[in-house]
Amino acid sequence: METINFDFFGNAFLTCSLLGAFYTLISSFRDNSTKSYKNTSFVIFFGLFSACCYLSYQFVTDNFSYLYVASNSNLLLPTFYKVSALWSAHEGSFLLMIMLLALANYINNLVLVPSRNLVISNQVVSSILVLYLIFLITSSNPFYLLNPAPLNGADLNPLLQDPLLVIHPPLIFTGYVFYAATFSFVLSALINGFTKDIFNTLKIWAGVSWFTLTMGIFLGSIWAYYELGWGGYWFWDPVENVSLMPWIAGTAFTHSLIFSREKTLEIWMVFLGIITFLLSIFGSFVVRSGILNSVHTFAADPTRGIFLLGIFAIFSVLSFYIFFTRSNLVKTSWPKFMSKNYLVLLNNIILMSILFIVLIGTLYPIILEAFTSNKLSIGPSYFSNLISPLVIALLLIFTMEQFLKQGFRKLIVFAALIIILSLIVQQFILKDVYAYLVISGIILLALMARAFFELLKTKSIKMPHKILGHISVVILTFAVIFNHNFSQNLDLRISPGENISAIGTNLKFDSIDVIAESNFDGVKALFLVDDVFDLAPEKRIYKVGGQITSETSIESTLFHDYLIVLGDRFPDGSWSISFSRKSGMIWIWVSSFLLMISIFYGTIRRI
Amino acid sequence: MIGRLFKIIFLVIFFLLIVSMIVVLNTPKTASIKTQDGKTFPDTTNLRQLNGELVNPLEFTEGKILVNIWASWCITCLVEHPFLEKISQEYPDLKLVGINYKDTISKANNYLERNGDPFMYSIFDNTGSFALKLGVTGAPETFLIIDGVIVEHRIGEVNRVIWEQDFEVFF
Amino acid sequence: MKYFFSLILLLTLICQTSQLYEGLSDKQLERLEHISENIRCPKCSYGNINSSNAQISRDLKEEIAQLIIEGYQDDDIFEIMEDRYGNYINLQTKPKDNLVLYLLPLAILVISILFVTIYTIKKPK
Repeated sequence: METINFDFFGNAFLTCSLLGAFYTLISSFRDNSTKSYKNTSFVIFFGLFSACCYLSYQFVTDNFSYLYVASNSNLLLPTFYKVSALWSAHEGSFLLMIMLLALANYINNLVLVPSRNLVISNQVVSSILVLYLIFLITSSNPFYLLNPAPLNGADLNPLLQDPLLVIHPPLIFTGYVFYAATFSFVLSALINGFTKDIFNTLKIWAGVSWFTLTMGIFLGSIWAYYELGWGGYWFWDPVENVSLMPWIAGTAFTHSLIFSREKTLEIWMVFLGIITFLLSIFGSFVVRSGILNSVHTFAADPTRGIFLLGIFAIFSVLSFYIFFTRSNLVKTSWPKFMSKNYLVLLNNIILMSILFIVLIGTLYPIILEAFTSNKLSIGPSYFSNLISPLVIALLLIFTMEQFLKQGFRKLIVFAALIIILSLIVQQFILKDVYAYLVISGIILLALMARAFFELLKTKSIKMPHKILGHISVVILTFAVIFNHNFSQNLDLRISPGENISAIGTNLKFDSIDVIAESNFDGVKALFLVDDVFDLAPEKRIYKVGGQITSETSIESTLFHDYLIVLGDRFPDGSWSISFSRKSGMIWIWVSSFLLMISIFYGTIRRI
Repeated sequence: MIGRLFKIIFLVIFFLLIVSMIVVLNTPKTASIKTQDGKTFPDTTNLRQLNGELVNPLEFTEGKILVNIWASWCITCLVEHPFLEKISQEYPDLKLVGINYKDTISKANNYLERNGDPFMYSIFDNTGSFALKLGVTGAPETFLIIDGVIVEHRIGEVNRVIWEQDFEVFF
Repeated sequence: MKYFFSLILLLTLICQTSQLYEGLSDKQLERLEHISENIRCPKCSYGNINSSNAQISRDLKEEIAQLIIEGYQDDDIFEIMEDRYGNYINLQTKPKDNLVLYLLPLAILVISILFVTIYTIKKPK
């Protein structure tokens, strides 16, 4: 008879951290001093870190007596993926997430001078840690032992056997938990007052979390593009939306620091800081409770859902209680009409509207189905139809802000001019092109021209991270619309040796061969495009589990990417393939990368 | 004044969110597409059996018929097969019709020889075009038809538990 | 066992149709792509039939190509698909049927911009 037991060491590490977090929570409430928790926070971090290492060690040594190892690894799996299998399922990834939160907390205690703010931060973070750890130990424990141990494990999901996916989830979690650290300081600002110190800390944490989350989402997109291989990089899948929501709120939050530093609408900044964190917990709830059908979701367990929803509810109630009781005490002043701060506030409002669209587009169908059992179909078109004009409005606003010195009337004329000029160009010159593409193109030119003249006049650019960041957002928008406008896809039937002209290219099917690797078998085809470059799409069958996957082959050029997905083999030896040209992909990646660089520089330049 | 209004609206929205999430958590997830319950069974003229004979369309308009979509390449079908055999013995009045989906005649016949043949008819649908009209998304799928109307459509394996839960009420 | 089956499936997969959407003009091919972009894959958790490897997706695309050749308009084809699989199959969210979903965010946007603008004019710093 098979039995399941608790593993001693793993649970001991977790318990040790839990006790540490508990101690911090209790003692920080008891004495009023501003003592540091350097040692305790180290103990918490170290316990979780050891638990992670310990579990990783079991993966690497193929110790299938661990239930978690047995269900997520296999003897044939390359060692690299054995390590990353740690965060391939719910339990391990949650452990990793808590470990990262403990790390953030330890860094705070190590670097910051002990103060009232740090005490509050410690209280908040350790209460999060306590709840998360209780959740981990009771309902998502990765340290279960199987007796007798199976000889081999079930395999790691082949979709996850990809280097990008090894780093994408931890980055998203890091972004989430860093927002928890940001949240703790937002609350301490609300309680202890908005001092200069707290703004410096907030600015760094906001930047670091924003950067990490951006990078996580960026890598997820790249993974979707290269690994899912259908030429898409963003699907408006509910899980993607759920990770986008804290990002949008975080973007608004980082921008709100600009005016709240100048003693304007601090309360709004606090509100954004709180909801960014709450949205990240809500994200964990949605993804981990199994209420969605998605490629991303972990196996469902209803008690987990209730527990996570409970954690979300507790933090919502607590933080809004503090928010509403303290917000009356904070005097709020409003920015001047058409000042820089007014425009930043407008940007915040538009971002919040985008957030709201993503939120109801994601949740409304789920809720409707639960109450009426009607299935409402919300597709990508809903999001893109509503969000595109708002993004264009955002671009217009931050471009106007660049030209603020010219005066209010001129600004309005300027914005109207951009729109009219774009419409003229689109109506009479570039008829087949979206109006949005032309508008964003003209905005891009305006921003670049301004930066260029500033460089000429003063030999330097003020706030280069801001200019670069905004320019890269415009390039990103432009590239996304360009991609939407000019991409093409064609299904072909082609035999080896055959030549076909398709989508403006000459496609030659050179050969097809059988391949064999340690963890899969398959076929690999070779195509020549215009005799310039070749594409080698594959079809694989994984030895364990027997899953069939298609490996898309992609060749990037400056303006277009070419993709081939291998379909089925016909009896006469010909194959069905899907051949597509995706436009502007490189520019999407380059601009996202530039955006990350500017966020990074903007964060570290004052440290 | 506005502050209080904001607070109240906020609390109401938050409360609704939590309640609806609890309801969502307790709602079993349904298949991603609508099943075919309540629809009439499509036109069956010109359907051929595995042995090449035409099927009489009237067979599908009267009485209780259990239609099972299967294929020799489908692993779940193989798992499900013994249960279908049992059903054919337990309900002698029930007509079991198999629709062989995207398969070849020889493989299908081999499969039935090896695993037993519970079906009254075995319809050969190697292009899957009839199945497509029926709303089939893959194999196995099972339809219960009473007097030409689909009363139950199951996507995936049918076993004792599923049978008792969804099919038995019609007998 | 499962692996063995899959291997056979992969190497000898037989598709009896001899055409991969033959006989479609360029204009019609564009329509085919547009419709396929907006038909949800019935077997998958998410995504359209263009971005899915499932057999049913390919069958559906083929059927849509056939319907286009037979002269059906886009709306008719969407209707046929919705009739068979329910309106969840259609990825297009029509503003007409979901007025609240479209208007609510816009209303919130307009109201909050007005609210903020009035306040900034009334009580500047």
